[in-house]
Amino acid sequence: MSGRLLVLAAVVVLAAAADLVAGRALAPGTVLEVLTGGGGETARHVVLHLRVPRLLVALVAGAALGVAGLVLQSALRNPLSGPEVTGVTPGAVLGAVSATGLGLASWQSPAAVVVAACAGGFAGAGLLWLLAGRERGDPAGTAVHGVLVSAVLGGLTAMVLLVAPGELGSVVQWLIGSTEGRVWAHWHLLWPWALLWGVAAWLLSGPLTLLRLGDGPAAAAGLAPRRARALALLCAVALTAGAVSAVGALGFVGLLVPHLAVALFGADLRRALPGAALCGAAVVCGADAAAQGLSRWLSLVLDAARLTLPVGALTTCLGAVLLLVVVRRTPARSF
Amino acid sequence: MTTQPTDPPGLHVADVHFGYPGRPVLHGVDLGVGPGELTALIGLNGCGKSTLLRLLAGVIRPDRGRVLLGGADLARMGRRAAARRVALLHQSAPPVPGMTVRQLVRQGRYAQRGPLGMLRDGDDAAVRRALCDTGVEDWTDRPVDALSGGERQRVRLAMALAQDTRVLLLDEPTTYLDLHHQLEVLQTVVRLRAERGLTVVMVLHDLGHAARFAERIVALRAGRVVADGAPKDVVTPELLAGVLDVAGRVGRDPEGGWPVCYPDHPLPTST
Repeated sequence: MSGRLLVLAAVVVLAAAADLVAGRALAPGTVLEVLTGGGGETARHVVLHLRVPRLLVALVAGAALGVAGLVLQSALRNPLSGPEVTGVTPGAVLGAVSATGLGLASWQSPAAVVVAACAGGFAGAGLLWLLAGRERGDPAGTAVHGVLVSAVLGGLTAMVLLVAPGELGSVVQWLIGSTEGRVWAHWHLLWPWALLWGVAAWLLSGPLTLLRLGDGPAAAAGLAPRRARALALLCAVALTAGAVSAVGALGFVGLLVPHLAVALFGADLRRALPGAALCGAAVVCGADAAAQGLSRWLSLVLDAARLTLPVGALTTCLGAVLLLVVVRRTPARSF
Repeated sequence: MTTQPTDPPGLHVADVHFGYPGRPVLHGVDLGVGPGELTALIGLNGCGKSTLLRLLAGVIRPDRGRVLLGGADLARMGRRAAARRVALLHQSAPPVPGMTVRQLVRQGRYAQRGPLGMLRDGDDAAVRRALCDTGVEDWTDRPVDALSGGERQRVRLAMALAQDTRVLLLDEPTTYLDLHHQLEVLQTVVRLRAERGLTVVMVLHDLGHAARFAERIVALRAGRVVADGAPKDVVTPELLAGVLDVAGRVGRDPEGGWPVCYPDHPLPTST
């Protein structure tokens, strides 16, 4: 098990290295030079103020989404749930965008964006809770309602962004998810938040493992299922809101990384949660590297000067395929 | 921990009423279970057996009346504190992908764990003992979902035993099992109860098993206790007709002397 953790950590390092050198304009040698203390002024600026913070944000956002997804799937006993399809991510995006649009939050007050994203995340999850009604216990039914809720919230977000773009940033940034242009300010806000809630989630790993067994067996073993679930959902929403504030609605990471983590590390969340954090970091970072590489290649082939593929587009495509695999493998009404 | 000289706690149910929204289930149940007794609960589907068992475990709380465990009110006990005293095996449990036998059985130690979920001294010993007691020690690293129904039931019993309580509540522990495995599970329960001095209450569908293994049979009908006593006194054609809506005859096992039922045909359901 710890062997797998080490291999995964190595994969994360590789993905991170790839992400650092994948961008335009700098040769891998130059990047290495800068990292070891040399390099020209421009190169130093590009690497130390653009690429490194972008990489760190991608790593932590991926880890946060992976953990949030595994927490949600365990707490709700639903393999088809994840922040993206339970209204949490789209709600958080809508919250962040609306608060910014109304002037309640801005890049000068990034903490307010996170708070607004949290509020939106809870509202989104609450909306799903109300709409799903009696089908709450049914994974497929909840997933269907979740897609519905997400679509509506995504539409609302697009409207807000198109009506009042201002300093909100682009539709691409929020609705598809991008690590483009993330700087140290984002990182300074993201890591303490992710660490706080990540540790909180890990402290809940015992109760969460029990919740995977079902409320009845969990209660018989000594857990108060409702309270544990409420705390777990709080962690999941907070982690998602943090990630969303930094990179937007990165598609499918929170839905699929948990399956990867459980397949690799088993259903004991004391191991699987750190595993999900590493998987999430590796996936987002690797996807970011791939997106940058693809962007370079596409602009060569299409002869377009600056074509930028957002990392969210890649994770969504990849995720949709993997989701199909999960759905096929999942027996009805069970994990 | 292997020898426990003290008596296990008894259970006392006093005038308990309970209902789910729009569906009353129990209407004033009174029941005392003595320390170390082996009691079987019988009755039709939906008569409130499982609900009564869950009340005895403190997983749910009565709308009215009290459930006492060794004299202490379960409603005033936290979930964790109750789980250190009573273990409940649920009737059925959904599959748990990615969990090995040992991991599942370990979940039974949740109530005894430290605040951060640290395993304490004795946890590993209790898990190992539970695995051996149920004869599943050879499959500890196999995934639970790859086991057969009978094997899985034994593993779930091991999880309940890992709680290391003196009171064991079993909700239809023999469902989905073939006769061989039914007897195996029941015999394990009887043996452990004798070795450890456990108070055991189990819901059984098979009246024959109840008559064979229990010291006492409590029959429920529509949320009330309608018969209560030793199998030889309680298991009668009247019980078959009045509690289970079945016409039939009752004889004696030629060697053991316990009552044996010969059910014949179903009677029209009265309630």
